[in-house]
Amino acid sequence: MKIIFFRYFVRQAMRNMVENRLVHLIGLGTMVIAFLMFDAFILIFVNLNSWTQEQGRSLTMSIYFKGEPERAVIENIKKELLQYPVSITDFISKDDALKSLRKQLGEKAGLLDGLGENPLPASLEIILSRDVSGDSLPYELKTRLERIHGIDEVQYSQEWVEKFQAIMGAVKIIGLVFGGLLFLAALFIITNTVKLTIYSRKDEIEILKLVGATNRFVKIPFLIEGSIQGFLGGSVALIVLFLVYVAIITKVDLSIGFASLDIIFLSPQFILLLLLMSSIIGFIGSTVSLGRFFRI
Amino acid sequence: MIRLFHVYKSFGSKNPALIDISLTVPKGEFVFVTGPSGAGKTTLLKIIFCAEKPTSGHALVDGRNLTRIKDGELSSLRRRIGVVFQDFKLLPRRTVFENVALSLEVMGVPPSRIRKKVHQTLRYLGLADKEGYYPPQLSGGEQQRIAIARAIVNNPLILLADEPTGNLDYDLTMEIMALLKEIHTRGTTVVVATHSQELLKGTRRRIIALHKGRMV
Ligand SMILES: Nc1ncnc2c1ncn2[C@@H]1O[C@H](COP(=O)(O)OP(=O)(O)OP(=O)(O)O)[C@@H](O)[C@H]1O
Ligand SMILES: [Mg+2]
Repeated sequence: MKIIFFRYFVRQAMRNMVENRLVHLIGLGTMVIAFLMFDAFILIFVNLNSWTQEQGRSLTMSIYFKGEPERAVIENIKKELLQYPVSITDFISKDDALKSLRKQLGEKAGLLDGLGENPLPASLEIILSRDVSGDSLPYELKTRLERIHGIDEVQYSQEWVEKFQAIMGAVKIIGLVFGGLLFLAALFIITNTVKLTIYSRKDEIEILKLVGATNRFVKIPFLIEGSIQGFLGGSVALIVLFLVYVAIITKVDLSIGFASLDIIFLSPQFILLLLLMSSIIGFIGSTVSLGRFFRI
Repeated sequence: MIRLFHVYKSFGSKNPALIDISLTVPKGEFVFVTGPSGAGKTTLLKIIFCAEKPTSGHALVDGRNLTRIKDGELSSLRRRIGVVFQDFKLLPRRTVFENVALSLEVMGVPPSRIRKKVHQTLRYLGLADKEGYYPPQLSGGEQQRIAIARAIVNNPLILLADEPTGNLDYDLTMEIMALLKEIHTRGTTVVVATHSQELLKGTRRRIIALHKGRMV
């Protein structure tokens, strides 16, 4: 495309936007809301996803014994575990367990004196060092260990992480549907905004055609206009989202009992992707409205 | 340059606007199309620059058959035809300069060259000082000359002028006619539609007379 044409197209697109600024402003407002919901959803999703992955990455497993195990049993287990990517922390005997419980209870430790026998099991903790998210290894290990004589039960604390990851799968699908709807909403808004500017330029289009403009020449400014509008909508939505994000992480304490949630903002790549996507929605939206107009 | 073969044009169920029109305008000719209001002059011109398609018959302009012309060909053909519309068709929200520049912009002429050509044409038509005005701020005669400026700024092969003196007083009419003649002497084929008998008085040019859609 000739550079002269390009300058004309951009100028024309800008003119369209300025002359129809009210329509564009309203369109932009509605579009920002649609994009904002979409972006917020992505932000939450990305965070939840990275958080569950984080949890799945290192997994602790507790092996509880029946009574006090013999040294040989422990050595045996350790040998058994050599073939797995695990590190073994210290063995905690029944006494150790009681001691640490007393420590935790502090003043109320007297409560434990009433117990005849120590009810706490001896345990061994192991940490799986490789990424086991979506892996069957923890379960395999669990069943294998539970077959060993002297072991009462094997628990891995993050069994729920796996359940959570299953839920994330469902969330992904919901997000896809939801995102698709928002996508259509944004498309609809742009289609109509550009359609209004096309109608406000009907006479001009007719005259342009009469003095020898090609269809492409007439259409391109509207395509640029739609893309710019999509891009602006996407940018404003991201800026709003960022401001809300800053307000939340500075004002609200999100350490919820078991784990503190570190919310991270979308990565630069994600931001670029979202901006690109909103521009593409704008482009498609104006293509749709032009298609309708030029068929008439 | 322009050839029509048995062209009919009807709009809906009314009496046809054009009935069995066959004519040839060779390259470089200057012809008048005349007839009372509603005779079909504007419709005839519209057929020639392909704003309307014949209901039946064929129209050939600059070697192209207009009944089956593609968008790309159509625009390149229209760049070679300058049209002065009866209702001017100026853009009210564009300055005089921008209106005239339109014909060159669609061709991708560089801005510096557009500026030069537009200035030159406006000066030629005595409108040099109106460049920054908007059409609604101008008189009917001035708007008419801007429509002419837009039609000739890109040196078309064919100039179609629909009542180009309709809003002008005698002096300006004579001036515009002199101008059209001058454009003609440069080699442009000129077709002027008018109902004004005064304009035709004493002319030695060919006159195509229409009456209720027929050539008479
Ligand atoms: N788009 C249209 N739809 C319906 N009828 C039309 C249309 N254009 C022209 N006509 C009809 O065709 C006939 C010829 O119209 P045309 O405009 O060609 O006349 P004209 O000779 O240019 O008249 P005038 O001198 O008043 O400009 C008229 O009866 C008019 O009503
Ligand atoms: Mg007419």
